[in-house]
Amino acid sequence: MIAVLGLVLGVVAGLLLEPTVPVGVQPYLPIAVIAALDALFGGLRAQLDGIFDEKVFVVSFLSNVVLAALIVFLGDQLGVGTQLSTAVVVVLGIRIFANAAAIRRHLFKA
Amino acid sequence: MSEREPRVDEARGAFAASMGLLTSVLARPLDPGYEAAARRRTTEGRPRRTAGGVILLAVLAVALGALTVTAASTLRAPQPAVVQARAVLEEEVTRRSLEVSESEQQLAALDIEIQRLQNTALEATDPELLAQLTVDEAASGAVALQGPGVRVTLADAPNADEGDIDRRVHDSDLRIVVNGLWAAGAEAMSVNGIRVTGLTAIRSAGQAVLVDLVPLAGPYVVEAIGDPDRLPTRFAGTAARDHLALLRGVYDISSTVEVASSLIAPASAAPTLDRAAPLPVPDDEEEGT
Repeated sequence: MIAVLGLVLGVVAGLLLEPTVPVGVQPYLPIAVIAALDALFGGLRAQLDGIFDEKVFVVSFLSNVVLAALIVFLGDQLGVGTQLSTAVVVVLGIRIFANAAAIRRHLFKA
Repeated sequence: MSEREPRVDEARGAFAASMGLLTSVLARPLDPGYEAAARRRTTEGRPRRTAGGVILLAVLAVALGALTVTAASTLRAPQPAVVQARAVLEEEVTRRSLEVSESEQQLAALDIEIQRLQNTALEATDPELLAQLTVDEAASGAVALQGPGVRVTLADAPNADEGDIDRRVHDSDLRIVVNGLWAAGAEAMSVNGIRVTGLTAIRSAGQAVLVDLVPLAGPYVVEAIGDPDRLPTRFAGTAARDHLALLRGVYDISSTVEVASSLIAPASAAPTLDRAAPLPVPDDEEEGT
Protein backbone atom coordinates (compact mmCIF):
# COMPACT_ATOMS: atom_id res chain seq x y z
CA MET A 1 0.00 0.00 0.00
CA ILE A 2 2.82 2.34 0.93
CA ALA A 3 4.57 1.62 -2.35
CA VAL A 4 1.47 2.29 -4.43
CA LEU A 5 0.63 5.44 -2.50
CA GLY A 6 4.21 6.62 -2.82
CA LEU A 7 4.15 5.96 -6.55
CA VAL A 8 0.92 7.94 -6.97
CA LEU A 9 2.39 10.76 -4.87
CA GLY A 10 5.49 10.74 -7.05
CA VAL A 11 3.40 10.86 -10.23
CA VAL A 12 1.40 13.84 -8.92
CA ALA A 13 4.59 15.59 -7.81
CA GLY A 14 6.19 15.00 -11.20
CA LEU A 15 3.13 16.35 -13.01
CA LEU A 16 2.91 19.43 -10.81
CA LEU A 17 6.57 20.33 -10.53
CA GLU A 18 7.50 19.47 -14.13
CA PRO A 19 11.23 19.19 -13.48
CA THR A 20 13.47 19.61 -16.51
CA VAL A 21 15.50 16.60 -17.54
CA PRO A 22 19.18 17.21 -18.31
CA VAL A 23 20.02 16.70 -21.97
CA GLY A 24 22.61 14.04 -21.07
CA VAL A 25 20.10 11.52 -19.74
CA GLN A 26 17.44 12.09 -22.38
CA PRO A 27 18.48 9.10 -24.55
CA TYR A 28 17.60 6.81 -21.63
CA LEU A 29 14.09 8.11 -21.06
CA PRO A 30 12.20 5.88 -23.54
CA ILE A 31 13.86 2.76 -22.16
CA ALA A 32 13.23 3.91 -18.60
CA VAL A 33 9.54 4.42 -19.34
CA ILE A 34 9.24 0.97 -20.90
CA ALA A 35 11.03 -0.60 -17.93
CA ALA A 36 8.68 1.24 -15.59
CA LEU A 37 5.68 -0.03 -17.56
CA ASP A 38 7.04 -3.56 -17.31
CA ALA A 39 7.38 -3.25 -13.53
CA LEU A 40 3.88 -1.77 -13.26
CA PHE A 41 2.29 -4.57 -15.25
CA GLY A 42 4.30 -7.13 -13.28
CA GLY A 43 3.10 -5.62 -10.02
CA LEU A 44 -0.50 -5.56 -11.21
CA ARG A 45 -0.34 -9.17 -12.25
CA ALA A 46 1.24 -10.18 -8.95
CA GLN A 47 -1.56 -8.35 -7.17
CA LEU A 48 -4.13 -10.31 -9.15
CA ASP A 49 -2.20 -13.53 -8.52
CA GLY A 50 -2.35 -12.66 -4.83
CA ILE A 51 1.39 -12.65 -4.36
CA PHE A 52 2.04 -8.89 -4.52
CA ASP A 53 4.91 -7.73 -2.39
CA GLU A 54 5.75 -4.07 -1.97
CA LYS A 55 9.43 -4.59 -1.48
CA VAL A 56 9.74 -6.79 -4.54
CA PHE A 57 7.67 -4.29 -6.53
CA VAL A 58 9.79 -1.27 -5.65
CA VAL A 59 13.07 -3.13 -5.97
CA SER A 60 12.12 -4.64 -9.33
CA PHE A 61 10.88 -1.25 -10.52
CA LEU A 62 14.14 0.43 -9.54
CA SER A 63 16.37 -2.32 -10.87
CA ASN A 64 14.42 -2.48 -14.12
CA VAL A 65 14.82 1.25 -14.77
CA VAL A 66 18.44 1.39 -13.70
CA LEU A 67 19.43 -1.75 -15.55
CA ALA A 68 17.67 -0.72 -18.75
CA ALA A 69 19.37 2.69 -18.66
CA LEU A 70 22.68 1.01 -17.89
CA ILE A 71 22.38 -1.35 -20.85
CA VAL A 72 21.61 1.52 -23.18
CA PHE A 73 24.49 3.52 -21.74
CA LEU A 74 26.82 0.56 -22.24
CA GLY A 75 25.54 0.11 -25.78
CA ASP A 76 26.13 3.80 -26.50
CA GLN A 77 29.70 3.51 -25.26
CA LEU A 78 30.28 0.42 -27.42
CA GLY A 79 28.61 1.94 -30.46
CA VAL A 80 25.71 -0.53 -30.49
CA GLY A 81 23.29 1.67 -28.56
CA THR A 82 20.39 1.30 -30.97
CA GLN A 83 20.76 -2.47 -31.20
CA LEU A 84 20.89 -2.90 -27.44
CA SER A 85 17.94 -0.53 -27.04
CA THR A 86 16.05 -2.72 -29.48
CA ALA A 87 16.97 -5.82 -27.49
CA VAL A 88 15.77 -4.27 -24.24
CA VAL A 89 12.57 -3.05 -25.87
CA VAL A 90 11.90 -6.51 -27.33
CA VAL A 91 12.41 -8.36 -24.05
CA LEU A 92 10.45 -5.86 -21.97
CA GLY A 93 7.80 -5.59 -24.65
CA ILE A 94 7.25 -9.35 -24.65
CA ARG A 95 7.03 -9.34 -20.86
CA ILE A 96 4.56 -6.47 -20.84
CA PHE A 97 2.47 -8.24 -23.43
CA ALA A 98 2.49 -11.56 -21.57
CA ASN A 99 1.71 -9.89 -18.24
CA ALA A 100 -1.09 -7.89 -19.82
CA ALA A 101 -2.49 -11.13 -21.25
CA ALA A 102 -2.38 -12.72 -17.78
CA ILE A 103 -4.13 -9.68 -16.31
CA ARG A 104 -6.76 -9.94 -19.01
CA ARG A 105 -7.32 -13.60 -18.15
CA HIS A 106 -7.72 -12.65 -14.50
CA LEU A 107 -10.17 -9.85 -15.15
CA PHE A 108 -12.31 -11.28 -17.93
CA LYS A 109 -11.73 -14.98 -17.30
CA ALA A 110 -11.09 -15.34 -20.99
CA MET B 1 15.94 -9.71 -15.48
CA SER B 2 14.35 -13.15 -15.50
CA GLU B 3 16.07 -16.21 -14.21
CA ARG B 4 16.25 -19.29 -16.33
CA GLU B 5 13.77 -21.94 -15.68
CA PRO B 6 15.71 -25.14 -15.10
CA ARG B 7 12.80 -27.41 -15.98
CA VAL B 8 12.58 -26.11 -19.50
CA ASP B 9 16.29 -26.59 -20.10
CA GLU B 10 16.20 -30.12 -18.78
CA ALA B 11 13.22 -31.04 -20.84
CA ARG B 12 14.53 -29.74 -24.13
CA GLY B 13 18.18 -30.50 -23.67
CA ALA B 14 21.17 -28.47 -24.73
CA PHE B 15 19.60 -27.50 -28.04
CA ALA B 16 16.95 -25.46 -26.31
CA ALA B 17 19.42 -23.87 -23.93
CA SER B 18 19.91 -20.91 -26.17
CA MET B 19 16.16 -20.48 -26.30
CA GLY B 20 15.93 -20.59 -22.54
CA LEU B 21 15.83 -16.85 -22.10
CA LEU B 22 13.09 -16.36 -24.65
CA THR B 23 11.10 -19.29 -23.30
CA SER B 24 11.31 -18.07 -19.74
CA VAL B 25 10.34 -14.58 -20.85
CA LEU B 26 7.33 -15.96 -22.70
CA ALA B 27 6.27 -18.66 -20.27
CA ARG B 28 6.98 -16.89 -16.99
CA PRO B 29 6.89 -13.16 -17.54
CA LEU B 30 6.33 -12.37 -13.89
CA ASP B 31 9.36 -11.35 -11.92
CA PRO B 32 10.41 -14.49 -9.98
CA GLY B 33 10.93 -12.31 -6.94
CA TYR B 34 7.17 -12.20 -6.34
CA GLU B 35 6.95 -15.98 -6.12
CA ALA B 36 10.03 -16.17 -3.95
CA ALA B 37 8.60 -13.58 -1.60
CA ALA B 38 5.28 -15.43 -1.50
CA ARG B 39 7.09 -18.67 -0.66
CA ARG B 40 9.03 -16.93 2.07
CA ARG B 41 5.82 -15.61 3.53
CA THR B 42 4.27 -19.06 3.74
CA THR B 43 7.36 -20.67 5.23
CA GLU B 44 8.60 -17.93 7.54
CA GLY B 45 5.47 -15.91 8.11
CA ARG B 46 5.19 -12.19 7.45
CA PRO B 47 8.58 -10.50 7.58
CA ARG B 48 8.74 -7.79 10.18
CA ARG B 49 9.14 -4.40 8.66
CA THR B 50 11.39 -1.86 10.28
CA ALA B 51 10.48 1.83 10.28
CA GLY B 52 13.55 2.64 8.22
CA GLY B 53 12.62 0.04 5.64
CA VAL B 54 9.13 1.44 5.27
CA ILE B 55 10.42 4.99 4.83
CA LEU B 56 13.00 3.84 2.31
CA LEU B 57 10.29 2.00 0.44
CA ALA B 58 8.02 5.05 0.38
CA VAL B 59 10.81 7.39 -0.68
CA LEU B 60 11.88 5.03 -3.46
CA ALA B 61 8.30 4.69 -4.63
CA VAL B 62 7.80 8.46 -4.75
CA ALA B 63 11.09 8.91 -6.58
CA LEU B 64 10.24 6.22 -9.11
CA GLY B 65 6.78 7.64 -9.74
CA ALA B 66 8.19 11.12 -10.26
CA LEU B 67 10.94 9.78 -12.49
CA THR B 68 8.57 7.82 -14.67
CA VAL B 69 6.05 10.59 -15.15
CA THR B 70 8.82 13.13 -15.77
CA ALA B 71 10.38 10.87 -18.37
CA ALA B 72 7.02 10.31 -20.03
CA SER B 73 6.10 14.00 -20.10
CA THR B 74 9.54 14.94 -21.39
CA LEU B 75 9.16 12.41 -24.19
CA ARG B 76 5.75 13.76 -25.02
CA ALA B 77 7.18 17.25 -25.50
CA PRO B 78 8.00 17.85 -29.18
CA GLN B 79 11.61 16.70 -29.32
CA PRO B 80 13.31 19.40 -27.24
CA ALA B 81 16.70 18.65 -28.76
CA VAL B 82 15.37 19.13 -32.29
CA VAL B 83 13.57 22.31 -31.30
CA GLN B 84 16.70 23.56 -29.62
CA ALA B 85 18.86 22.79 -32.64
CA ARG B 86 16.34 24.52 -34.86
CA ALA B 87 16.30 27.58 -32.64
CA VAL B 88 20.09 27.71 -32.72
CA LEU B 89 20.09 27.44 -36.50
CA GLU B 90 17.40 30.09 -36.85
CA GLU B 91 19.37 32.41 -34.65
CA GLU B 92 22.48 31.73 -36.69
CA VAL B 93 20.63 32.45 -39.94
CA THR B 94 19.24 35.72 -38.60
CA ARG B 95 22.61 36.77 -37.27
CA ARG B 96 24.42 35.93 -40.50
CA SER B 97 21.77 37.67 -42.59
CA LEU B 98 22.27 40.78 -40.49
CA GLU B 99 26.02 40.48 -40.99
CA VAL B 100 25.52 40.16 -44.73
CA SER B 101 23.27 43.20 -44.93
CA GLU B 102 25.70 45.16 -42.76
CA SER B 103 28.55 44.15 -45.04
CA GLU B 104 26.49 45.10 -48.07
CA GLN B 105 25.81 48.52 -46.61
CA GLN B 106 29.49 48.90 -45.84
CA LEU B 107 30.32 47.84 -49.38
CA ALA B 108 27.92 50.37 -50.84
CA ALA B 109 29.35 53.11 -48.64
CA LEU B 110 32.88 52.17 -49.64
CA ASP B 111 31.88 52.09 -53.31
CA ILE B 112 30.55 55.63 -53.04
CA GLU B 113 33.73 56.63 -51.23
CA ILE B 114 35.90 55.11 -53.97
CA GLN B 115 33.81 56.80 -56.61
CA ARG B 116 34.18 60.14 -54.90
CA LEU B 117 37.93 59.80 -54.41
CA GLN B 118 38.35 58.64 -57.99
CA ASN B 119 36.40 61.61 -59.27
CA THR B 120 38.31 64.12 -57.19
CA ALA B 121 41.62 62.55 -58.19
CA LEU B 122 40.77 62.49 -61.87
CA GLU B 123 39.16 65.90 -61.93
CA ALA B 124 42.51 67.48 -61.22
CA THR B 125 44.73 65.29 -63.35
CA ASP B 126 42.69 64.04 -66.28
CA PRO B 127 39.20 65.50 -66.81
CA GLU B 128 38.91 63.85 -70.21
CA LEU B 129 39.42 60.39 -68.75
CA LEU B 130 36.88 61.19 -66.07
CA ALA B 131 34.27 62.12 -68.66
CA GLN B 132 35.03 58.96 -70.60
CA LEU B 133 34.83 56.92 -67.42
CA THR B 134 31.45 58.39 -66.48
CA VAL B 135 30.02 57.48 -69.87
CA ASP B 136 31.54 54.00 -69.77
CA GLU B 137 30.35 53.30 -66.27
CA ALA B 138 26.83 54.30 -67.18
CA ALA B 139 26.91 52.09 -70.26
CA SER B 140 28.47 49.10 -68.53
CA GLY B 141 26.12 49.22 -65.58
CA ALA B 142 28.91 49.57 -63.05
CA VAL B 143 27.09 52.39 -61.27
CA ALA B 144 23.47 52.93 -60.40
CA LEU B 145 21.70 55.59 -62.40
CA GLN B 146 18.64 57.67 -61.70
CA GLY B 147 16.58 59.71 -64.04
CA PRO B 148 13.34 60.08 -65.96
CA GLY B 149 12.33 57.49 -68.49
CA VAL B 150 9.79 54.95 -69.63
CA ARG B 151 8.29 52.01 -67.77
CA VAL B 152 6.96 49.08 -69.81
CA THR B 153 4.98 46.48 -67.88
CA LEU B 154 4.12 43.05 -69.30
CA ALA B 155 1.87 40.58 -67.53
CA ASP B 156 0.92 36.99 -68.31
CA ALA B 157 -2.58 36.48 -69.68
CA PRO B 158 -5.14 35.97 -66.87
CA ASN B 159 -5.71 32.33 -67.82
CA ALA B 160 -2.05 31.50 -68.40
CA ASP B 161 -2.05 28.98 -65.56
CA GLU B 162 -4.23 26.63 -67.56
CA GLY B 163 -1.24 25.19 -69.34
CA ASP B 164 -1.16 27.28 -72.49
CA ILE B 165 2.41 28.48 -72.34
CA ASP B 166 1.87 30.76 -75.31
CA ARG B 167 -0.14 32.98 -73.00
CA ARG B 168 2.85 33.60 -70.80
CA VAL B 169 5.43 36.31 -71.34
CA HIS B 170 8.42 34.66 -72.97
CA ASP B 171 12.06 35.60 -72.78
CA SER B 172 11.92 36.53 -76.45
CA ASP B 173 9.13 39.04 -75.76
CA LEU B 174 11.24 40.70 -73.10
CA ARG B 175 14.23 40.70 -75.41
CA ILE B 176 12.25 42.45 -78.12
CA VAL B 177 11.03 45.09 -75.66
CA VAL B 178 14.53 45.65 -74.26
CA ASN B 179 16.09 45.89 -77.70
CA GLY B 180 13.31 48.25 -78.80
CA LEU B 181 14.04 50.50 -75.84
CA TRP B 182 17.77 50.46 -76.63
CA ALA B 183 16.94 51.38 -80.19
CA ALA B 184 14.72 54.18 -78.94
CA GLY B 185 17.67 55.69 -77.12
CA ALA B 186 17.50 54.33 -73.60
CA GLU B 187 20.62 54.98 -71.58
CA ALA B 188 20.17 52.47 -68.80
CA MET B 189 17.63 49.74 -68.23
CA SER B 190 16.45 47.32 -65.61
CA VAL B 191 14.02 44.41 -65.66
CA ASN B 192 12.29 43.77 -62.33
CA GLY B 193 15.09 45.61 -60.58
CA ILE B 194 17.93 43.82 -62.36
CA ARG B 195 20.22 46.03 -64.41
CA VAL B 196 20.32 45.16 -68.08
CA THR B 197 23.45 46.05 -69.98
CA GLY B 198 24.88 45.05 -73.31
CA LEU B 199 26.24 41.87 -71.71
CA THR B 200 23.08 40.81 -69.88
CA ALA B 201 21.44 37.65 -71.16
CA ILE B 202 17.65 37.35 -71.18
CA ARG B 203 16.92 33.67 -71.46
CA SER B 204 14.42 31.10 -70.38
CA ALA B 205 14.78 27.94 -68.33
CA GLY B 206 11.66 25.86 -68.47
CA GLN B 207 8.86 28.37 -68.08
CA ALA B 208 10.90 30.83 -66.03
CA VAL B 209 12.44 33.89 -67.59
CA LEU B 210 16.02 34.46 -66.53
CA VAL B 211 17.55 37.90 -66.61
CA ASP B 212 21.25 37.86 -65.84
CA LEU B 213 20.65 34.23 -64.73
CA VAL B 214 18.18 35.36 -62.06
CA PRO B 215 14.76 33.76 -62.45
CA LEU B 216 11.92 36.29 -62.50
CA ALA B 217 8.19 36.05 -62.06
CA GLY B 218 5.60 38.21 -63.79
CA PRO B 219 4.54 40.91 -64.10
CA TYR B 220 7.72 42.03 -65.82
CA VAL B 221 8.59 45.68 -65.42
CA VAL B 222 11.14 47.05 -67.85
CA GLU B 223 12.37 50.45 -66.79
CA ALA B 224 14.43 52.47 -69.23
CA ILE B 225 16.13 55.73 -68.31
CA GLY B 226 16.37 58.18 -71.15
CA ASP B 227 15.04 61.40 -72.57
CA PRO B 228 11.41 61.45 -71.32
CA ASP B 229 10.23 63.36 -74.38
CA ARG B 230 11.89 61.46 -77.15
CA LEU B 231 12.09 57.94 -75.69
CA PRO B 232 8.33 57.14 -75.74
CA THR B 233 7.78 58.51 -79.22
CA ARG B 234 10.77 56.73 -80.66
CA PHE B 235 9.79 53.53 -78.87
CA ALA B 236 6.34 53.79 -80.43
CA GLY B 237 8.02 53.66 -83.81
CA THR B 238 9.98 50.46 -83.19
CA ALA B 239 9.03 46.88 -83.99
CA ALA B 240 8.74 46.24 -80.26
CA ARG B 241 5.56 48.30 -80.13
CA ASP B 242 4.03 46.19 -82.90
CA HIS B 243 5.07 43.07 -81.05
CA LEU B 244 3.32 44.29 -77.89
CA ALA B 245 0.16 44.90 -79.88
CA LEU B 246 0.41 41.40 -81.32
CA LEU B 247 0.85 39.91 -77.85
CA ARG B 248 -2.21 41.74 -76.61
CA GLY B 249 -4.35 40.87 -79.60
CA VAL B 250 -3.45 37.21 -80.06
CA TYR B 251 -2.32 35.99 -76.63
CA ASP B 252 -4.11 38.38 -74.28
CA ILE B 253 -0.79 39.42 -72.73
CA SER B 254 -1.38 42.89 -71.34
CA SER B 255 1.25 45.58 -71.51
CA THR B 256 1.44 49.23 -70.51
CA VAL B 257 3.90 51.90 -71.51
CA GLU B 258 4.13 54.91 -69.24
CA VAL B 259 6.48 57.81 -68.74
CA ALA B 260 8.01 58.02 -65.30
CA SER B 261 9.69 61.06 -63.85
CA SER B 262 12.19 59.23 -61.70
CA LEU B 263 13.50 55.74 -62.29
CA ILE B 264 16.41 54.00 -60.66
CA ALA B 265 18.59 51.54 -62.53
CA PRO B 266 20.63 49.70 -59.90
CA ALA B 267 24.25 48.83 -60.51
CA SER B 268 24.71 45.43 -62.08
CA ALA B 269 26.54 42.62 -60.36
CA ALA B 270 30.26 43.14 -59.89
CA PRO B 271 31.75 43.63 -63.35
CA THR B 272 34.13 40.97 -64.52
CA LEU B 273 37.33 41.84 -66.30
CA ASP B 274 37.12 40.35 -69.76
CA ARG B 275 39.84 42.20 -71.60
CA ALA B 276 42.76 44.38 -70.68
CA ALA B 277 45.22 46.27 -72.82
CA PRO B 278 48.15 48.42 -71.80
CA LEU B 279 47.60 52.15 -71.98
CA PRO B 280 49.14 53.80 -75.01
CA VAL B 281 52.22 55.68 -73.96
CA PRO B 282 51.92 59.25 -75.22
CA ASP B 283 55.64 59.83 -75.80
CA ASP B 284 56.52 56.70 -77.71
CA GLU B 285 53.54 55.05 -79.39
CA GLU B 286 55.59 52.10 -80.67
CA GLU B 287 56.74 51.02 -77.26
CA GLY B 288 53.28 50.87 -75.81
CA THR B 289 51.89 48.07 -77.97
